[in-house]
Amino acid sequence: MDGHELIFAGLDIGSLTAKAVLLENDIMIASAIIRVRPSALDSAKDVMNAVIMEKGLSEQDIACCCATGYGRLDIPFADLNMSEISCHGMGAFFTDNGIRTIIDIGGQDCKVIVVNEKGLIKDFIMNDKCAAGTGRSLEMLAKTLDVPLSSLGPLTLKSWRPIDITNKCSIFMELEVLDALYSGKKLTHIAAGLSDAVAKRVASLSASVQMENPVCVTGGVSKNKGVLKFLEKRMQRTFVVLPVDPQIAGALGAAVFAMRSFEKKEKEAFRK
Amino acid sequence: MDFLDTIKEKASSDGNADLNAFSQRGKKIIGYFCSYFPEEIIHAAGMIPYRMRATGKSDTTKGDIFFSSLNCTFVRRCFDKALNQHFDFLDGIIFLNGCDHTRRLYDNWRHADIKPDFRYMFVAPHKIGRLAEERFSEEMVNLKTAVENAFDLVITDDALRRSIHLYNKKRQLIAALYRERLKESVPIKGSELLSIMLTITMMPVEDAISLLETVIEKIDGRKTHKEGDLRVFMGGGCVEEIAHLELIESVGASIVADNLCLGYRHADMLCDESMDPFLSLARRYLNHFSCPRMMNDFRRRLDFLHTVKKEAAIDAFIFEKLKFCDLWGGEMYLCRQESRKHNYPILLLERELYGGSTGQIRTRIQAFFEQVRNQSYTPSELVVSAGNNYKAVMGGITREEKDHS
Repeated sequence: MDGHELIFAGLDIGSLTAKAVLLENDIMIASAIIRVRPSALDSAKDVMNAVIMEKGLSEQDIACCCATGYGRLDIPFADLNMSEISCHGMGAFFTDNGIRTIIDIGGQDCKVIVVNEKGLIKDFIMNDKCAAGTGRSLEMLAKTLDVPLSSLGPLTLKSWRPIDITNKCSIFMELEVLDALYSGKKLTHIAAGLSDAVAKRVASLSASVQMENPVCVTGGVSKNKGVLKFLEKRMQRTFVVLPVDPQIAGALGAAVFAMRSFEKKEKEAFRK
Repeated sequence: MDFLDTIKEKASSDGNADLNAFSQRGKKIIGYFCSYFPEEIIHAAGMIPYRMRATGKSDTTKGDIFFSSLNCTFVRRCFDKALNQHFDFLDGIIFLNGCDHTRRLYDNWRHADIKPDFRYMFVAPHKIGRLAEERFSEEMVNLKTAVENAFDLVITDDALRRSIHLYNKKRQLIAALYRERLKESVPIKGSELLSIMLTITMMPVEDAISLLETVIEKIDGRKTHKEGDLRVFMGGGCVEEIAHLELIESVGASIVADNLCLGYRHADMLCDESMDPFLSLARRYLNHFSCPRMMNDFRRRLDFLHTVKKEAAIDAFIFEKLKFCDLWGGEMYLCRQESRKHNYPILLLERELYGGSTGQIRTRIQAFFEQVRNQSYTPSELVVSAGNNYKAVMGGITREEKDHS
């Protein structure tokens, strides 16, 4: 590994996608997002290979690796694991030290995380009822509309009269979507209704914590501009746009924790 | 297999093999619900009191025919087990008005006419006080008469006094185990203690005493926690899943104190052996460390948070309730208000008994512990029993740094 400084890896093995980030000298040098494989370990291996091959590295070049996400416990080559709540908080904070609140809308849950001046969790809330208002439910509802997930946002932005989706349960939401389709409602208005329904749930969740400005959104759903538009409106806030892909914030935070852990151990070894 | 592993294995099952053996030897087994039930009366009748549990059952299919899905998973699971003949080893069952869900269990059990034939509703007061003690004492006499009539036997005052003495001994041993957990080096995990509690509430008290004595002997000098583990208090109702407590411990905690149905209540307060046995039982069972079912004891339970924080050097509180449990719902709200007032870290969980979702629960608990490590450490004045400087480094902040900042 000639010419390289110490390299730290962060892995975020989620329910829908696996993400990896490499850090060198406090700078993100590579990142990758893949669809999850049948096992957490396979996802971790594949996404890790993607980033290390991109930089011409090998596993031995990684000084320390931290795993997060639902598959975090199943990665034998990770040196430590942290909750995705800490990692999303730290990842967003790392890119912009001013950020104090992170709304993470992932594949199967959403969280509102308030961080302190060091990027560490100060308070958080996480949905615990069901997966409605998350990536998985949006994916399912996009299928019902027979449109790709990525087009839900652009469709939403074209709407001027979103339909009102009242159900909180994804299954009943699907029935409402079907009903709207059968009664000839425009696709754009239905997509906007869905985006607003997700925004409603997240805004309601966020009322349980004392949010601090500035606020940003991470996780896969943060790429849906329709959801963001309605969320800003419902929360009466303007979100900070992260300088990195917001979906990799968790993996980036994990890489920062890997770096911190390594430095701490080095310091302890030096003291001895 | 380790001694505690054997206990865990037994605790994770219905324990029917052991209980069937007792049955074959002619011992009668009486099931009961709730920690407000005086086991002594059953023991004095020469029978074995068996604490009802939902262990060993994986769904509520049959139970859901009788119960609405707005009833808690504990009663739905217990009733499902009954409908599947899992409690056929019982010779009698005593219900208690612990909450309205268990009260409804009595109705459904009678309506479905499931074994055993002896089904009795024992009513415990919801308030503490002199009048309540007298009423409760009468209720105990009524229970004694009902048992005598149903099984054609006589429960003498002497037999009851002997039982009270034995149960006091059991309480003292449990209390000794709880004291061990206050130490800096925690010799027994919360999950292990739960296994023990599940086991000793399905065996004769004489065996329970001997098991507890062995446990105390075997855990001497043991250390169960890792460097940096948080000392945690657990509050909640009928938490009986050993795996759930193991999950909490696995993400960096040592559960050192509790208010659970199968917890500290069993150690708190002895019966006065010098007074009328029924009044003594009534006094003890009404005044022991209370459950949220007791409506005029909120202040004492909230004060306990402060006491336990100091005595057990608690870093974090976890309270949880089963879905649709109003009693613990109200309690959690009050505990959250009190904790926030005093800046105690608190996590509130709502879940189903044996409900899965371990990924989400683990994330929430791990993040909570990370949050606690980020922001707080136990100030030295709160570390009463845990020794000096035992937690010098917490989340990268040394006590010296904190003291000088």
